[in-house]
Amino acid sequence: MATGFLTDTTVCIGCKACEVACKQWNQLPADGYEFTGDSYDNTKQLSGTTWRHVAFIENPKKKRLTGDIDLVALAEDVTEPLPNGAELDALGRWAFMSDVCKHCVAAPCQQACPTGSIIRNEFDNVYIQPDICNGCGYCVPACPYGVITQAPHDGRAFKCTLCYDRQVDGLEPACAKACPTNSIQFGDVEDLKVMAEERVQELHDKGYTQAYVWGTPEVGGTGGIDGNHSKFILMDEPETYNLPKHPYLPQEKVKGGVVAGAIAAGVLGAVVALAFRD
Amino acid sequence: MSDTTRQDLTQGNGHVTNGRPETSHHPETDPKREDKHYYGIPPIKHAHWTWQIPVYFWIGGIGAGTHLFSTVAQLLGHDDPALKRASRYTVLVTMILSPIMLIWDLGRPERFYNMMRILKLRSPMSTQSWSLLIFGNLGGLLAARQAAEDGLMGRNALSGLLIRLIPERLLSLLALPFGLFVGFNTGNLISATSVPIWARNWALMAPTFLASGLSTALSWLSLVLHLTRSGEPKTLRALHRAERATIVIEAGLIAASLVRMSRWGKPLFSKSVAPLFVGGALLSGIAAPAALLFSGKQTRGKSILSSLLVLAGGLAFRFALIKAGRISADDPEAYFTFASDRSAPQPEDKV
Ligand code: SF4
Ligand code: SF4
Repeated sequence: MATGFLTDTTVCIGCKACEVACKQWNQLPADGYEFTGDSYDNTKQLSGTTWRHVAFIENPKKKRLTGDIDLVALAEDVTEPLPNGAELDALGRWAFMSDVCKHCVAAPCQQACPTGSIIRNEFDNVYIQPDICNGCGYCVPACPYGVITQAPHDGRAFKCTLCYDRQVDGLEPACAKACPTNSIQFGDVEDLKVMAEERVQELHDKGYTQAYVWGTPEVGGTGGIDGNHSKFILMDEPETYNLPKHPYLPQEKVKGGVVAGAIAAGVLGAVVALAFRD
Repeated sequence: MSDTTRQDLTQGNGHVTNGRPETSHHPETDPKREDKHYYGIPPIKHAHWTWQIPVYFWIGGIGAGTHLFSTVAQLLGHDDPALKRASRYTVLVTMILSPIMLIWDLGRPERFYNMMRILKLRSPMSTQSWSLLIFGNLGGLLAARQAAEDGLMGRNALSGLLIRLIPERLLSLLALPFGLFVGFNTGNLISATSVPIWARNWALMAPTFLASGLSTALSWLSLVLHLTRSGEPKTLRALHRAERATIVIEAGLIAASLVRMSRWGKPLFSKSVAPLFVGGALLSGIAAPAALLFSGKQTRGKSILSSLLVLAGGLAFRFALIKAGRISADDPEAYFTFASDRSAPQPEDKV
């Protein structure tokens, strides 16, 4: 059985409970008090010491709502035209998204790792074995989503383990457990896929036709990665959440690169041989 | 815009610019707009590599190219003791320094041996470690025999044994493919990442590294032979011709790489990298030595000068590429444009 996450950004309230639960359960060190000035999100990004990161997308709209607006009706999801042609989004939108390792089906970090420290465990999750990693850092630029870094003062690379230790004991990962709105759901990847499709259909029926699943082979998993075991329901372009639209498997071209190098070696060898002809 | 309804908006026929509905926080819907990112925070992480890695690329290339030149000379029956000596010791020193650089760079240097735990053909870091191990050891044996021949170990039974037991020709030939692999695979090492400027150039990165490595190696050999006033005239002539040809090939490959990198190659011309790339790699590493190599009669002074320039240019080129990779990885715009359509390497692309 392959387990994974489904992160439904449409119900995320940005409480960061998952971030805190992850830090606590995995005993991750603090990242320091840094004030970004960008938004209420001062965590900024995933790293070797932050395995869940809640992004706050706070871009207020330039246009303003005018006239007599029934805010309660707005909140209750009315679909009739708004007075004065105002847009629903005109209040500005706060979107939240709890980011995590995508547990790629064909994982670039795993293919890059020269020590074989990164494996797929019995739950089909991408897992770094800390007793083997020698901190070469090659998995870091390989990851198409910027998930892994080397932990400072430790040297080794770390990322989400999908709470391997909890799963072994039959528990769900700490972030999914802590999430008060069920924005983070944990389960069998096949079940999550069905749940994601149903939820997107539900959103479409309500009029949110921009909702879609990211992390399928079509979106967020092309170019040889074959999709992700951490799926997301998004409401905007992937880039808004700092995710690429069509990531690719960096190792796809290793063979081609070796062939090109071998051809070059042959040509240069011949050039050297010719240079000896007087 | 006064009669736009919410329904219109969600169905994409509301306020439409360039055929796309306007969404909440992207007032401009121009496909080439610059604001597609999350507060400019890099979506991928750059490699941590500092100076050890470009220096390793440089010395590894010198070792590989030196071995190529001396082995070809040997195969063609051109036996020049000075060339052989210079090349054997060069390979030895570069292959001692290379692993030191690589292990120094590790987050947990004491665990370097885990590289030898497994062989992964898809991981250039893994194949690089193995080829270094093999090339280094074969090169070490060859250097040991050389040292015995040179009397560095004294004229004793051990020296005699080494000379008799180490099959020079066979080992040189055996080491050649691994040496060449060390020389070009550094290109694949950087292109098999998510960094746009490197990944974009996957087909030409390995050939460029090998050509540049060979040109630094030839310059190194010519420098050593000229400074020690050794080497047969035929060796020096061959070196000179090979240097000329290689520098032209290298220049062509760098030019083709720039074309291939297209907009993602911009970091090479950024303020912090341009002095290294344009000034160091292109002008002092290629243009100036090419002018010296192709102009008039060759003198010892000119050869020494052009060798020094090529060696410095090769080092600058490697630093420039690593630095440019960092800028490229830190630029959300570069990564998102690269990973949004068919610019990134696709499974069906061929060499
Ligand atoms: S998202 Fe990155 S770290 Fe996670 S499995 Fe994929 S490549 Fe590895
Ligand atoms: S840093 Fe560790 S996990 Fe990452 S590639 Fe190197 S050995 Fe593997």
